[in-house]
Amino acid sequence: MNILGVEDPCDKCEQMLQPYLDRELTEAERQEAESHLEGCSYCRKRYHFEEKLRMFVRQAAVEQMDPQLKQKLAALRTAL
Amino acid sequence: MSDSTNENARRLAEGARDRVHFEEDALALADQVYSVARHLSGSREEAEDLVQETYARAFRSWRSFTPGTNLRAWLMRIMTNLNIDRGRRKQRSPDTQPLEEGDYYLYNRLSDSISDDNPQEDQVLRRLSQNDAVTALSAVPHDFRDVVVLVDIGDFSYQDAAQILDIPIGTVMSRLHRGRRILKQELADTVVEG
Repeated sequence: MNILGVEDPCDKCEQMLQPYLDRELTEAERQEAESHLEGCSYCRKRYHFEEKLRMFVRQAAVEQMDPQLKQKLAALRTAL
Repeated sequence: MSDSTNENARRLAEGARDRVHFEEDALALADQVYSVARHLSGSREEAEDLVQETYARAFRSWRSFTPGTNLRAWLMRIMTNLNIDRGRRKQRSPDTQPLEEGDYYLYNRLSDSISDDNPQEDQVLRRLSQNDAVTALSAVPHDFRDVVVLVDIGDFSYQDAAQILDIPIGTVMSRLHRGRRILKQELADTVVEG
């Protein structure tokens, strides 16, 4: 909201970023976001960044399990 | 051999076969279970203990799993409950967390720290290292992190996350949104303030 009490379209677009990427917006909201993004490189860059960031965090978080742990888990199986 | 003896032997053999299948299916998910455990826990050692406890409990109570339902979610449910039982919950409640910055905060902070006036997204992203992401994730308070880890790393749906954590789906969504913002704030602090 700016000093005139009018909502800044980029602020509104920022609010819609997560629900947009999560496909939670209604059709009307999605169209509103996309129409703003089409004309606003400021928001567009930040949306693209968020998409890439999510992928980056997911990949960064992958940590290989110690093979010894796998063996320990297999040893927990019930003996036949 | 009587009919009833034969029937008992057949049931025993079937039970053993079902159990073997269950154990094999559960073990095939171990990498994914570990990946989530690693970020629910504070350290590699804690994660390894948690995964072992989870599998020990799962193998003991395999009969309570309904075949055809989501085994990965069932294992996660055991794991998150064990994690709570381990007394990990001595922390601030989500309601007392300070309000986090908006969703553009990280991009704005990172791009401000680059000499280029109008950097591209990839250039901004390159400011982050894998280690930064892991460190920032570990700094997100547990209630928020649990949801971020399940949805964004474990790739669970909101519905699955709600069932695993035994919280309403609306709570999953609000914690996920706030958790991601806190993560970005932590990343900004880690990278820009070093």
